[in-house]
Amino acid sequence: MCLKKHIISLLTACCMLLLLSATDKAPALIKWMILKDCTVRVNGSTNINKFSCVVPDYLRSDTLTCYKGNDLPVILSGRLALPVISFDCSNSMMTNDLRKTLKAKEFPSLNIYFISLEKYPELNNTQESITGVVNIELAGVSKKIEINYQISMDEHKIIHLVGTQTIRFSDFALVPPRKLGGMIRADDRLDVIFKINFKRISDQ
Amino acid sequence: MNKIFLSGLTAGIILFIISYGGLYVAIRCFPSFFVDYNNPLFNSNGNRDTLFYSHAFIFSFALSWFWERFKSLFKGHFILRGLEFGLVYGIIALVPVMWITFSSLDITVTMVLSWFFYGLCQAVIAGLVFAKMNP
Repeated sequence: MCLKKHIISLLTACCMLLLLSATDKAPALIKWMILKDCTVRVNGSTNINKFSCVVPDYLRSDTLTCYKGNDLPVILSGRLALPVISFDCSNSMMTNDLRKTLKAKEFPSLNIYFISLEKYPELNNTQESITGVVNIELAGVSKKIEINYQISMDEHKIIHLVGTQTIRFSDFALVPPRKLGGMIRADDRLDVIFKINFKRISDQ
Repeated sequence: MNKIFLSGLTAGIILFIISYGGLYVAIRCFPSFFVDYNNPLFNSNGNRDTLFYSHAFIFSFALSWFWERFKSLFKGHFILRGLEFGLVYGIIALVPVMWITFSSLDITVTMVLSWFFYGLCQAVIAGLVFAKMNP
């Protein structure tokens, strides 16, 4: 797992070096600090009900780095590391069931690695729709996924990013829970919505 | 022996259809009642489905043997004998099992009461089949 992360980091660094060397103008390095009031929500359904589980507070102050140059897409680096144990489904039984399904004991973190943005956002108070690529690492399996973002910046210069995408349990080699001989079963699809607030901390 | 097997098999087939058919219909008609089954206490990966669906036959063969041993104690019309047999099973087997289940597992009263009622219905149906086929 550790070796895989190193290889991914090395490949990302190589890609960035290639990009840097290929452009006339050196790209600007922009750092966005992830603020603490971020949430990640997972919406799913079974054949008897719908559920919505949320990681209510992201408590780490991580940094996202944007490599803003002439070439597109904009390369990003940084990640969200969400503790799976923090998922709360407003129902203790469902919460425990989701944690068990996501193998929280073996793989305590859900990692979202930011890879690229279709373009650098305008960053004003109107919401802008941009697509981007992230690598989601869940239950020990990584999958590169295109995300639809809504990005805006408020009057306090806080960048609000809302990412939405549908993923599948099976994408991560997870089996959707089924009970009573399959009479109660969860859908394979999960809608993931993450709301992240950033503060621009430096341009280089 | 033949009667035990045959009545056990018949009761098993009837219980299989009624129990799982009833469960299927109940899940569709009263989905909110089953929300609490989204609980890690219940097996969720399907590797015990065969055991789950064979329960009707395990239950009916065990009760068929029990009926053969004690049928002389149940007197009257076959409906009365079947009902009494089911109630006896409910009192001596279901009540203590449900009691310990509720006291030790994180489940709701509704869940335990529904299991009791489900088991009682199964035992009464099996009793009616035994009283008719193996009087």
